[in-house]
Amino acid sequence: MTLFAAVFSHYRRHPLQLAALALMILVATTLWSGVRQLTEQARTSLSQSEQVIAGREQVVRVDGAALTVSDFVTLRRAGLCVMPWLEVPRQGDVGLVIGVDPLAAACFGGAGGAFGNSQIRLEGEPFVDISEAARMARELPAAEPPPSLALIAAGEVTADAVPAGYRLADFSRGPDTGELGESFLLNLDALGILVLLITALLLRSVYRLGIVQRRDSFALLHRFGVPPAQIDRWLVVELLVLSALCILPGLWLGSWLAGLLGQGFGRSLEGLFDAPLYAAPGQWLAPAFTMMAVVLVACLADFLVPGAHRLAGSRGKGKLAGGFLVTGLVLALLSPSLVWVFVAVAIVFAGAGLLTPALINRLADRAADASADPLSRWRYRELAVMARQLALPVVALQFTLAMVLAIQALVTTFEDTFDRWLGQRLEAELYVAVPEGRSGEAAARWLTSQPELQTSGVWHRVIRGRGSVSVSGSAPTPVDLFALSPVSSLVTSWDLLDAEDDPWATLTRGEGVLVNEQLARRLELGVGDRIALEVAGQQLNLPISGVYADYGRPAGEILISGALLPEQFRPDFESFSITPGTLTRAELIRGLEAVWQVSGMTVRDNEEIRALATGVFDQTFLLTRAMTVLTLTLAALALLVMGWVFFTGRNWYFRLLATWGLSRREVAAQLTRLSVGLTGSVALLALPLGIWLTWVLVHRINPLAFGWSLPMAVYPGFWVELIGLSLLIGLGIALLMGRQLRAGAALPVSASSLTGGER
Amino acid sequence: MNQPVLEARDLSKTFASGAERIAVFSGLSVSLAAGQSLALMGRSGSGKSTLLNLFCGLERPDNGVITLLGERFDYREAGAAGQQEKRWARLRRRQIGVMFQEANLMPALSLLDNVRLRARLAEQPLEQCQTWLERLGIGELAERYPDQVSGGQRQRAALAMVFAMNPDLILADEPTGSLDRRTAEEVTAELFRLQAETGVALVLATHDPELAEQCQVTLDLAHGNQAGPAP
Repeated sequence: MTLFAAVFSHYRRHPLQLAALALMILVATTLWSGVRQLTEQARTSLSQSEQVIAGREQVVRVDGAALTVSDFVTLRRAGLCVMPWLEVPRQGDVGLVIGVDPLAAACFGGAGGAFGNSQIRLEGEPFVDISEAARMARELPAAEPPPSLALIAAGEVTADAVPAGYRLADFSRGPDTGELGESFLLNLDALGILVLLITALLLRSVYRLGIVQRRDSFALLHRFGVPPAQIDRWLVVELLVLSALCILPGLWLGSWLAGLLGQGFGRSLEGLFDAPLYAAPGQWLAPAFTMMAVVLVACLADFLVPGAHRLAGSRGKGKLAGGFLVTGLVLALLSPSLVWVFVAVAIVFAGAGLLTPALINRLADRAADASADPLSRWRYRELAVMARQLALPVVALQFTLAMVLAIQALVTTFEDTFDRWLGQRLEAELYVAVPEGRSGEAAARWLTSQPELQTSGVWHRVIRGRGSVSVSGSAPTPVDLFALSPVSSLVTSWDLLDAEDDPWATLTRGEGVLVNEQLARRLELGVGDRIALEVAGQQLNLPISGVYADYGRPAGEILISGALLPEQFRPDFESFSITPGTLTRAELIRGLEAVWQVSGMTVRDNEEIRALATGVFDQTFLLTRAMTVLTLTLAALALLVMGWVFFTGRNWYFRLLATWGLSRREVAAQLTRLSVGLTGSVALLALPLGIWLTWVLVHRINPLAFGWSLPMAVYPGFWVELIGLSLLIGLGIALLMGRQLRAGAALPVSASSLTGGER
Repeated sequence: MNQPVLEARDLSKTFASGAERIAVFSGLSVSLAAGQSLALMGRSGSGKSTLLNLFCGLERPDNGVITLLGERFDYREAGAAGQQEKRWARLRRRQIGVMFQEANLMPALSLLDNVRLRARLAEQPLEQCQTWLERLGIGELAERYPDQVSGGQRQRAALAMVFAMNPDLILADEPTGSLDRRTAEEVTAELFRLQAETGVALVLATHDPELAEQCQVTLDLAHGNQAGPAP
């Protein structure tokens, strides 16, 4: 037998351990690389949107019709420098590609910035030649979203130069959302890193267990003349081989996962930040090396940093844990940025990780001392031993449970709040968008003239455009402007986060404005603060009458009375929200079609919009939920494997109980009480950590990442479910061990090896 | 002769080794009365530990009948294993003290707690536990843990556990096998002294002829299945 075979022989006897290691590396790689691929892709998209699109203008048809090649020809013949921009969804894949015409872009010249010939790389990431994009568009199946063509105008194109039938419009996909898009991705990055840390912890625990079991073999090899350094080298080789074998399929699975979640994620990104998900290349090398480094560090930290384990075992552990907890809690409360909040979470988790096994150990020992019944005393002492020996997987399970609890609370709170909020926003039965080039004013006059609507129905008109806000002479901040006319009862039932006595009456009189939470937070505005609002060149100085919750995009919004809009204001978009009462939908449509002189007008049922919006927000959390469920499964499996391995080592002592006259069922009951006691304790200790994490997510991370906060809510029903799940894991360990007991028990390695570790 | 504590008739036991079965012993019969001691002799693998396991129901023979303290276990009949297991468990709990060569103690409990645990399972008074440790000369070590005492002291604690349950039969599987000669002699002396005092029946598996000589009856598993008087 070669030395290599001797070193590896351990896994021939313990194939489950090898399988557990391989599975953990595989799953950790899949989860982390999948999320990383999505966030990298989204980050690239945000950055490209910012660099290429922001501030640009496009030429659109006044009649609102879709642009065609003939429009392009007409505009170019009129001497306008425009370039076609064709966005095509990638068939069967995530993201968009953008077809551009480098020849057409040539007129953008040096001032064209990113459109300069040399700066556009037509490699599909996301740009391709427009002919290629057109080919892709033709091959799109009907189910895919349709391609969209825009004509981007060069910077020097002015409104006067645009021929009749066309007009200039902003090409930016939405107002500036500050750093929120990046914060959103940072949020996902942090989740990915947390998952990576938890899996690294589990990996380390399983690997260390194997190393402890192999110590005698290594000592024997050493006595046979093999230098310890050579054995260490083989261990590194062993890990590298295992990592390589598991990381590569893990990366492939991660790419598959990203593809699976990508479409929903892309919709979320577009819904939240108006940034579409463009195609981005899948990277292999950097994630592979990162994962390999994580595996090596997790497993070989003791070799790499001698003395690291002594820190964990030092007497000052309690003080260290306390210090971590206090520092982390204070930092989480006071930190000004998202990065520091994540650092605070990491510090608190480190403190909890140090404290938990020690706490279970201490409590179990106390319970043993207080117990008069020798059998109970034995059980408590065994529990204390388990807490110490299974410290790593116990902590990993605690972290995972806390994370699941917090995310579940966040998502459930969000669903409840969002549902209520959406119900208020979509209180009207119907939603009618004013067609491009048609008059909202004329439609409003017609609606006012309908007696059925006045007596039995209710409606309001929303005029949407852009404005800017400045506070105390500060630089103007662009905002989305919503002018209401009239201010109907469809809006006055909105829940406001903060408001003066009768904010809607103030708004109706034009004596105040309402702002959304995002803007209030960003500019640190409150009720009563005065803002300078610039609309179409006119300055309005108004107080804030209320702050409304807005769980949509992080854009700043401002709500004013339609009466305040100056003559020269040109809306980007107008719509009507209508509950028609006794007026039938058909009569309403006929009336509006007559006013606008259009046929086939679309009237949308708000219930449909509600379902659509709920779908987008569900997608936002799909990734988060998928990751937490997978991590929980992994943590449960790891504890199951570790518990099983631990109990195998203590099998003999359970056999002793049988020798002393406990029936098989009684021994199994003792075993069950022990394992369930451990996992139950972990779940109980995960609760405070999970509740704290919920608070951090709701009150610290969410406002920083999305611009809005949620009410803090706890869900004891879900706690019970999680505790139940933990107890099931404990039961699983007991069942596995019960099988082991029936197979017979081996003596401990030797009676003289009754070391302190066994008690 | 008194009513036998243990009576085994025509016991057979085989083990599977691949496709074939290897006989450990067959047609073995033995009888032991209260206060008597029986030494099981034989080489490693001759079936000493297996026979002890049969005598306390931890293993099942292929055939034969075991009567222990009036309870009859007939292995010639198929079935009823579950019921037998419960009866064996009850006997082990209250009337059969089992002692192994090593690892007789729970590592997470002190010596005293180990003795108390065994006495509690046998429904014996816990107050006597400290006394048993003292009678075995380790009273001052009562609060120590198994890894904090020597091998000899651990085996004395194991003896205290066995006697604290006030058994009718002690099955000792090479109880001094892991000890040095002098310590082994001390532990053995304690075992025989207390056995004589309490009148408990003792079955001792050993490959040490000197130890076997101290028993009243010897059964050499290497040379036949008949129990005979000690030389």
